Amino acid sequence: MDNEMIMNAGRRDGPTPPRKQVGSWRTWRWTLGNYLFILPFMILFSIFVIGPILYAFYMSLHEWKVLARQHPFVGLENYRQLLKDDIWWIALRNSLYFAFLTSAVNTVFALFVAIGVSRPILGRDFYRFIFYAPVVLSVSAMGIIMSWMMNTQFGVINYFLIWFGLPPVKWLADTYLVVPSLSIATVWWGFGFPMLLYIAGLQGIPEHLYEAARIDGANSWRITWHITLPLMRPTIFFVAITQLIAHFQVFGQPLIMTNGGPGRASFTTIMYLYQTAWRFFRMGYGTTIAVGLAFVILFFTLLQFRLFGRQSVVEY
Amino acid sequence: MRSVNRNQVSTWSSRILLQIALIFLAVIVGFPLYWMLVVSITPPAEVFSWPLHFWPPHPSLENYIEVFTRQDLQLPRWFLNSLVVSVGATIATLFLSSLTAYGFARLEFPGRDTLFIILLFAIMVPGQVTLIPVFLLVRKLGWLDSYNALIWPVAANVFGVFLLRQFFMGVPKDLEEAAVIDGAGRFRIYWQIILPLSKAALIALGIFVFLATWNDLFWPLIVLNRLEMRTLTVGLTVLQGTYTQERGLVMAGAVVASAPVLLLYAIFQRRIVQGVMLTGMGGR
Repeated sequence: MDNEMIMNAGRRDGPTPPRKQVGSWRTWRWTLGNYLFILPFMILFSIFVIGPILYAFYMSLHEWKVLARQHPFVGLENYRQLLKDDIWWIALRNSLYFAFLTSAVNTVFALFVAIGVSRPILGRDFYRFIFYAPVVLSVSAMGIIMSWMMNTQFGVINYFLIWFGLPPVKWLADTYLVVPSLSIATVWWGFGFPMLLYIAGLQGIPEHLYEAARIDGANSWRITWHITLPLMRPTIFFVAITQLIAHFQVFGQPLIMTNGGPGRASFTTIMYLYQTAWRFFRMGYGTTIAVGLAFVILFFTLLQFRLFGRQSVVEY
Repeated sequence: MRSVNRNQVSTWSSRILLQIALIFLAVIVGFPLYWMLVVSITPPAEVFSWPLHFWPPHPSLENYIEVFTRQDLQLPRWFLNSLVVSVGATIATLFLSSLTAYGFARLEFPGRDTLFIILLFAIMVPGQVTLIPVFLLVRKLGWLDSYNALIWPVAANVFGVFLLRQFFMGVPKDLEEAAVIDGAGRFRIYWQIILPLSKAALIALGIFVFLATWNDLFWPLIVLNRLEMRTLTVGLTVLQGTYTQERGLVMAGAVVASAPVLLLYAIFQRRIVQGVMLTGMGGR
């Protein structure tokens, strides 16, 4: 292959095919070589991504029990059932509630922390280090820590509350508090990630804008409000929507900390998918749930694209 | 790192206020990690005692000994499983996605743009859709309870291809042209020029694939059944569900599972922080 390269020395487009007539054996072989670069991945991709996507839609149109010999075609029956399925709607509501709560808190809170640790203060790198540290924990470690801390009887959080003269709270055991409690745990676990995204965004704001504002006599609050926040708008939108999508798919926290309880108060869509497919072995209906989930997520993704079409261009 | 607000606007008092707020927040964020350690070294008899102690009066390693020696817990083996799977998935992903990204970024072949659009489409479809079909496939392949089930589906990482393609397209072509003059082939250009120049992106991608695989719960939970094949994350989840009365034991398990990733994070802190900013990956 090396002598072919010499022939093409100086051409603009990287390694290019030998300058022979089109369709010759050597050109063909060169192109074939190019395919080899993408071939291994494309095989995996076909087997584990694109094939399964298509197969999922096929499955969702069938009554597909895992041990059954036959998987009868049922058309849109699974989808009809999904729309009438109370558990699905409960799970969807819980997931959306959790997602909106967590992403709202993360979006705002992480922004303030990021602005704080972007100031020239002592120990700035140390703060960043600490704030991102919980992100690297696995959901099971995080769930083990937090569920014990939030224990009604022996939890250290209630210990603090009592110490301050406040009544203890039934964090994970209360129907109305369980989702906000999972949300608090998740914010502790994950806010370091949007914080870093914000820090990266803040670094992109040109210094001269701050200088101009300072010459005009603005104080730091006004600068934050009138310069930093407007310029950070695209990043804020990006964080809000990606957080929403990520937290909508919550699974590990309720599985480990509450098992969906009390009752079904923290039962989420992914838990329902897990239960349907791997506890009751209804693969067809499970796939239908997955497709339903996908449509919700797709809706958010399209929303993201729409917002970005308008917001992503910022002129300095 | 460059400071954003280098001017003198912030007065001393607001700076001190900020410093206090950050210290307070650092204590709150750090406390659960400290508490995990405290509970793990509290002897089983004292875990359910009240009032709580912020340092156990009789610290002991009993829970750790227990967690490593119990018959129905195989922590060292789970640790090994997590390591094999995470390292395997990381290497496979890095190699395959960089090779593919190079193909899409620099090489010409019929159907390239169509294939890339298919990749784009696939990235829009949330991962849950493929869970059941991939599970059935993995079962049919006889891969349940094997490392294969945890490595290859992960290595079909479309996002990695996108990220690296983007990065490779930013590498100046002059260097490749110089290599072409020196008679380098395609693979050599990829291996000796593109990859070394993209070290930052590769390291970032590698770290995040490693952490994501190490911490993943759903997929290993459904493809692993045998006790000795579990990963740490799955093992811990089962531990949490089974030993509700032995908090110290469960907490010791959490410490053992978290220590390696926290250590990794402490060592590669700068890389990881830069990686998040560079790629927008590394969270959930």
